[in-house]
Amino acid sequence: MSANEERIILEGIAAGDTSVIKAFYKKNYNYIRRYVLQNSGDEADVEDVFQDALVVIYQKLKSDSLDIDVSIRTYFYAICKNLWRSRLRKKRKLIINTEVVGLSEDSEEPFTKNMENHDREHLYRKYFITLSDACKHILNLVFAGNRMKEIAILTGYTEGYARKKKFECKKSLLEKIEKDPIYHELKITSEKES
Amino acid sequence: MKRTQELFEKIEGYLAKKLSQEELSAFEKEMAADPELKREVEKHRELHNVMSDKGTLEFKEKLQKISEEIKKEQSKSNVYYSYWKIAASIIIILGVGTLLWSSLIKTNDLSDIYATYYNPYPTEDITRGDSANKLNNILKNYSEGKYDLVITELSESSSVSASEQLRLYLGNSYLNTGKEQKALLEFQSVPKSSKYYEDASWYNALTYLKMGKKKKSLEALNVIVQFNGIYKEKALQLIEKLKD
Repeated sequence: MSANEERIILEGIAAGDTSVIKAFYKKNYNYIRRYVLQNSGDEADVEDVFQDALVVIYQKLKSDSLDIDVSIRTYFYAICKNLWRSRLRKKRKLIINTEVVGLSEDSEEPFTKNMENHDREHLYRKYFITLSDACKHILNLVFAGNRMKEIAILTGYTEGYARKKKFECKKSLLEKIEKDPIYHELKITSEKES
Repeated sequence: MKRTQELFEKIEGYLAKKLSQEELSAFEKEMAADPELKREVEKHRELHNVMSDKGTLEFKEKLQKISEEIKKEQSKSNVYYSYWKIAASIIIILGVGTLLWSSLIKTNDLSDIYATYYNPYPTEDITRGDSANKLNNILKNYSEGKYDLVITELSESSSVSASEQLRLYLGNSYLNTGKEQKALLEFQSVPKSSKYYEDASWYNALTYLKMGKKKKSLEALNVIVQFNGIYKEKALQLIEKLKD
């Protein structure tokens, strides 16, 4: 890939350009899909890993901390593989036969240090987007730091109802996250650390 | 610990540092005594931290949308793909049916086999070149089966010797007007180096077939099999039939 194409992809991801991201998605999805499926994952795992790796790149671009000397695709594949390896370990299904699954191959950058954090973050976002539109709306206003009075005006709810709604939405989000098997693995590890 | 609206609001107040001094020390004491409460507070803290990054959240939502779009596109193209599969199956069934039918009625008559396998060499639109109009006219006559007109035009034209493709049209026209010898001449003058060689060989074999020259036809068909191109399968089929 030419340097120009690389630049277009990176800028497109940073800007959230749908057509660039879509093209990147289509071009690289099958590769990641094969990797995850061959290593005890399912279709849902593929989608999670693929999207979360893109989120990692997006965040790195936004914080100006993306410093790579390999192609974006190589880098992206490495993130995907690391994410999947770490999740697989949590799923306690890690197959040690590295020759078959190729899990021990060296990647370009050790990400494992921050992996825990990333994984939890991904879960919050993953389940947030599955909430109802009304919940998403009110929680977005809450997380943006609005006061309940303002939220009541913006949503057209009474303040009392807005409070109740906020509680219900938050509770339902936390419950969804806690239902994810990976979350419990994360919880156990982080508790051990603390 | 039961999740209540009251508890959530207390935690939120604590995280936003909005508790009074009194409330704060009471809550901190409570947390110290109750690890479950402490964990709940940490969950809320993390939730607020992650979710206040609106840019990333929107990016994630966009990815989800893109993924759904792609899935939709793919399921659509899968539908098309299955239409093609159905169409292909019908063609195969018809083809097998035709073969069964023709073997059932034991038509080993060479001319019948010829009729089964012969299709006039197809025309392509030729729109380039100076003589395009004249050529298109010839091809129009050809595709309409006015072979006499094609022969008149092409046999007098000097361009035939220059174009192997035109030889195929002329040869087919001869073949369809009962002038097999002349057809053979045209097909056989297409050199091996030409990209039309395989086409010419195929029609050469069919011409022999039409003439009832089974041995010659088989020889010509073997040449096609050796050539190992697009007519190979058909040639092998035809050889089988002729051997019956």
